[in-house]
Amino acid sequence: MTFDVNVLPTHFPELIDGLLLTLRICLLSMAFGAFGALFLCLGKLSGRGSGYHVSVFVIDFFRTIPEVVLIFWIYSCLPLLFGARLSAEVCGIMALSLLVAANVAEIMRAGVQSTDQGQLEAAMSLGVPAHTIWLRIVIPPALQRMAPAFVNFMTELIKATSLLSTIGVAEMVYQANVLGNRTFAYVEFLTLVATIFFAIIFPLSLFVRHAEARLAHQKSR
Amino acid sequence: MAALDELIEVSGGRTTRICLTIALVGVLAAGIWSLNWETLLNLHFGDLWRFRVAVLKGLGMTLTLTSAAAACGILAGTLLAIVMQSPVRPLRWFVVGYIELFRNTPILVQLIWIHFALPILTGVPTTAFVSGVIAIVLQASAYFSEIVRAGIQSVPPGYREASDALGIPVHTRWMRVILPPAFRTMIPPLVNMTISFLKTSAILTVLSVGELMTVATRISNATFRPIEILTVVAAVYFFFGWLISRLTGRIEAATARRETR
Repeated sequence: MTFDVNVLPTHFPELIDGLLLTLRICLLSMAFGAFGALFLCLGKLSGRGSGYHVSVFVIDFFRTIPEVVLIFWIYSCLPLLFGARLSAEVCGIMALSLLVAANVAEIMRAGVQSTDQGQLEAAMSLGVPAHTIWLRIVIPPALQRMAPAFVNFMTELIKATSLLSTIGVAEMVYQANVLGNRTFAYVEFLTLVATIFFAIIFPLSLFVRHAEARLAHQKSR
Repeated sequence: MAALDELIEVSGGRTTRICLTIALVGVLAAGIWSLNWETLLNLHFGDLWRFRVAVLKGLGMTLTLTSAAAACGILAGTLLAIVMQSPVRPLRWFVVGYIELFRNTPILVQLIWIHFALPILTGVPTTAFVSGVIAIVLQASAYFSEIVRAGIQSVPPGYREASDALGIPVHTRWMRVILPPAFRTMIPPLVNMTISFLKTSAILTVLSVGELMTVATRISNATFRPIEILTVVAAVYFFFGWLISRLTGRIEAATARRETR
């Protein structure tokens, strides 16, 4: 077979467009999702009542169904159900936002619930005001413990954006397919896209590894 | 977490619950108000009954793919994790490179790459199913090996040192000393990973492998009614994911009981 790298540079603009779209979708769905995650996390932490049950179900549901099913469901059912026109990109961002909301809510909940029991009891018995306990005792270590899980989920999210090519969002994998169809250099473009994904995700997963090792080290001390 | 619950109550748990309930009612009301009732009232879930055989076949394929990914993944992942502990440095680097490669690129890209580029490279044409299985197993081995590695590292170093001191052969050391306790700590992450490969198997729909999602897309294209079938399929996936996680609760409880005896 031939592996002709020379076709690649002439089509860099399209691939860069795809890359920017991938990043934009990631950022937007992360922002919307974080907002939703806050509510879901509050609901799950509140312990009982309708908010709690709905949050638990929503989190479990969107963490368990496959991303592809979610993306297709939103793309082909939401416009029918609400009689609205939605572009593929908007549908994709919606689907990924739900994914982010459910997963990040679970990460946040785990972070808060892993608060050191002794510290908490000490602060409560000393009569420290509730908001000071949250700001000084619960949230800072929770954020630190959440960091690796959160970045790990971020890598999953970046990988999940590639699935939006199935509904025709013009992100990197879609562009690679289109360019492959045009130039017949499928393997070259796919390899390049895989390399770009690797270059983005690998530093993040290195960070996860380091952060996890550091946390384990802290715990063992 | 008694203290945390107390803290939540002290810092306005009741108010939070009331606000969340109000927000929930608001969201529901807005949703119901903006629904397109004409479509909703014209849904016929009963029509799907005639596709039951196709859906069951798709489900069978999905479960086959999931179990293939889990079984081969755990097996190959364990081997990779053991090789990672080997003193030969190039061997270790090779395994690390393999794992990082498959963990840090999207499965969709791997899948398309394996389906289109591998036949060109090797000269052996593969069917969509074979490419799908290769891709999902390769990715599974990389993901599972990370879990197994963590499991092996959680075994106290004393086990290994003791087995070295007793002159236990390498094979026995792995099979009887290090791996059994490692696997017990690994049950929860292994199950989570299996559920996540149940989800991954749906991605093979881009090659039309014939699993549940492929069947769903075909039915929705044939009937022009995506809502019914996609909703049912989402529910089926949810049910099986829930079932797997429920089963593990049992396995965990059983192993815990055996431990305490």
